[in-house]
Amino acid sequence: MTADPTTSVPSATAAGGATEVTARPEAAEATRSVALASGDAPVGADTDTDRGEQGQPGAVGWRGALRLLLAGGVGKAGVAMFAVMLAISAYVVLTYPGDFGTARWSNPGVWADNPKAVRPAWTAWLGGGEPVRHLERNLTAPSEVATNPNSEVRTYRFPLAVDGDDFPSLLSVTLDGLTYGGRPPVVAVSLIRPDAPAGSPPVRLANLVAPGPRTGEVAPFRRFDPPERLLLSAQESAAQGIAQAYAALYPGLPVAGSLTDSDRLARALFGRPGADGSGRIELLRGEYQLQVQLVVANPADALGEVRAVLGGTVFGVMGTDGLGRDLWEGLLYGFPIGLLIAALAAVLSTAIGASLGVVSGYAGGTTDAIIQRVCDVISNVPVLPLLIFLVFVLGSNLWLIILVLVAFSWPGLTILVRSMVLQVRGGQLVEAARALGASRRRVMVRHVFPQVAPFVIAQMIFSAPGAILAEASLSFLGLGDTSIPTWGQMLRAGFQTGALYLGYWWWVIPPGVLIIVTALAFMLLALAMEPVVDPRLRKTT
Amino acid sequence: MIAVLRPLAVRALTLFGVLIAVLVLLVLSLGATGFSDDLLNAQVSEQLRGEREGLARTIRDPAQLEAAVAERQRQLEAFYGLDDPWYIRLPPQVFRVLRLDLGEARSLRTAEGSTRIADIVQERLPYTVLLLTTSTIITALVGLAVGARMATRVGSRIDRAMAYFAAVSFAVPSWWLGILLILVLAFQLDWLPSGGMYSTPPPTGRWDRAVDLAHHAILPILTLVPISIGPYIYTVRTMTVTVAQEDHVQLARAKGLPEGLVNRRHILRVAAPPIVTGLILGLAGSLSGSILVETVFNWQGMGRLYYDAVSGTPDEGVIVALTFVFTLMYVVARFVLDILYVLLDPRVRYG
Repeated sequence: MTADPTTSVPSATAAGGATEVTARPEAAEATRSVALASGDAPVGADTDTDRGEQGQPGAVGWRGALRLLLAGGVGKAGVAMFAVMLAISAYVVLTYPGDFGTARWSNPGVWADNPKAVRPAWTAWLGGGEPVRHLERNLTAPSEVATNPNSEVRTYRFPLAVDGDDFPSLLSVTLDGLTYGGRPPVVAVSLIRPDAPAGSPPVRLANLVAPGPRTGEVAPFRRFDPPERLLLSAQESAAQGIAQAYAALYPGLPVAGSLTDSDRLARALFGRPGADGSGRIELLRGEYQLQVQLVVANPADALGEVRAVLGGTVFGVMGTDGLGRDLWEGLLYGFPIGLLIAALAAVLSTAIGASLGVVSGYAGGTTDAIIQRVCDVISNVPVLPLLIFLVFVLGSNLWLIILVLVAFSWPGLTILVRSMVLQVRGGQLVEAARALGASRRRVMVRHVFPQVAPFVIAQMIFSAPGAILAEASLSFLGLGDTSIPTWGQMLRAGFQTGALYLGYWWWVIPPGVLIIVTALAFMLLALAMEPVVDPRLRKTT
Repeated sequence: MIAVLRPLAVRALTLFGVLIAVLVLLVLSLGATGFSDDLLNAQVSEQLRGEREGLARTIRDPAQLEAAVAERQRQLEAFYGLDDPWYIRLPPQVFRVLRLDLGEARSLRTAEGSTRIADIVQERLPYTVLLLTTSTIITALVGLAVGARMATRVGSRIDRAMAYFAAVSFAVPSWWLGILLILVLAFQLDWLPSGGMYSTPPPTGRWDRAVDLAHHAILPILTLVPISIGPYIYTVRTMTVTVAQEDHVQLARAKGLPEGLVNRRHILRVAAPPIVTGLILGLAGSLSGSILVETVFNWQGMGRLYYDAVSGTPDEGVIVALTFVFTLMYVVARFVLDILYVLLDPRVRYG
């Protein structure tokens, strides 16, 4: 009744308004093909439909089934949404690394150069002034080389245009892969500001000497591997440099507070003391230039790459979270994971639920009684508290979470399938098969199951969103598998770090919307499958 | 009378079986995974570390000290029952909750500072009940009124919109809706408090406190109602439509009974049992959903308590006790449903 995972999923038929489902073999064939066409592994794919039944009037082939599915707006919408989700999933599976969760998403080093908790770039047209675009520049070759008698100065220049209405959020330089022979090279980083009079020295931000040879180490020496990152907007030396520049250029204008604080330093680098003497820092627009000078003693010394990053106040398609993670990447990754959770949980619980239902209904007697009692007990258990308890004790592993979800979700289907099997077993088809001496097992697999299969498959699709919602809820409570990021975990991170209170809507709204859209896609598909499953619901044309 | 009691007695037995099954599951998962042993061992070594310093002050000889520490470790292990394997130790500890002896919490406290879990539950339970019953009553009233109205205009645009609303509200996670409402109503518009149960500082007068509590309850209730009301309206509407097509309704109309009377006596009365079922199933569902909603709104009820026990430094005594209490509440709700069903549906009584 509610959206939480504990309540039973209302049957597809109830939601569709139909009262009863009569299972027909030809519809079974049709549904199976549809399920295959839409990329879902059908549970009954290995069972044979009775060939003799297929010639009946009203039978639809898989083309017919697809046509039926696409006949209504609901079906079109469901299939279209599903196709988009599958396409995104395929893209993610093909392009993302296999260990995305641990190696990239949960690795702060990857996201260090991104601005933290900033809006998506497209929000610029919502107003609030021109934002600062995130800027990343790589240089592999110096812009300028000056040769001195016993050294060589290689200068890498990064022009930085500051023309937004806001201060950039950070400034950093990363040096990647240095090889040197004799004396350790020296790196000097400085900033040329637009307000600097011609000929004056640039603002010194940082100096760095490559670590010298260790005892026993022989040339060539390899340094900055992994890359050396200098967060200039947090360097003590940069604060001193800019303070000197302020003193020289704006004598008498005070600056309130210390500049060493990272947030204030980023502002100071691209600003000037307020002309009114209030101590506030005003934005100074114009053409800046970041200058990285490498002084080497040996011309053969080589620096692989220099990267400069000017942190924006907006980022990418979906903005960043509090750690600077690109939310767009995480949101996309959620698609294959969400579909995997839904498909695995639905297929497993349907397989268990349907087979136990067939056995329970057909075998009867003690077997039936035991299965029904177990169903009774499990379907009366409050699922979420037990889910939380089990995941808490057994550990947060995605596969384990899926298994626990399956363990609690099969009984509903067993009860439904059993009641249908009770009707089917008295039918002539089953009677004829038994008269011909078919074994119980054969009758169940080849004659009883195919008759309930279409209903089972519709139920399987209908039950899929439950698993996605349950996983999201568990993740939100902090019981998710941290090695595999999901939408629920992104929401959890946002909620925990106070994204709500700070109004970071781009962090908490999109994951929730995607959870809902995914759940809806499954539900629309299940609704649209009803005419395929139940011939009486087809429009007679 | 016997005819009424028999199905109820069978039902009561099943539900008792549920309680037992849940407890067995608790014992198995705590014991067979080694979780309980690890936890107790960690507790023993933590306690030993603390006592070692005290012992070292009185005993100088290192060998004697080691012996004393080892002796103390044996005592502690015996005290925590680590001498026995889990299948001997755990069952009595877990099954005593059946007598509502819930044990002591390690770090959670009541407002008065009691560590008894029973006291903590007693303090928190009313807040959960307040939230759930209020939202269920609203759902019931609005759902019945809207659902019965929908039934008179089946196939209209509003009717179809309602069907989609039901589907969407099924797909919306309750906690996410709560987050959205906080974002918009609490922070953007600043209309309602974003969480908690009382303002800081809490008002002093009895009446003022109640008003303050109600003010803080609006957002959680606004979260719980839309989630459950969509499917509920749909249930009421479908059941009413189904009954309205039956012959006895035609007959009642043919007799010339006023439409209001037909609706009340011949349609709604007949459709009542499944409508009530839907409502109570929804209530039982929101019981678990309350864990999430209370977490989002920092509502100090049972759900938030469960979340607090699981996150941070986990307290397995509280977790076991609360899992039991949740199951008990769920089972009781189910049983109330059965009694109502017997009262409402004559076929159960005379069947």
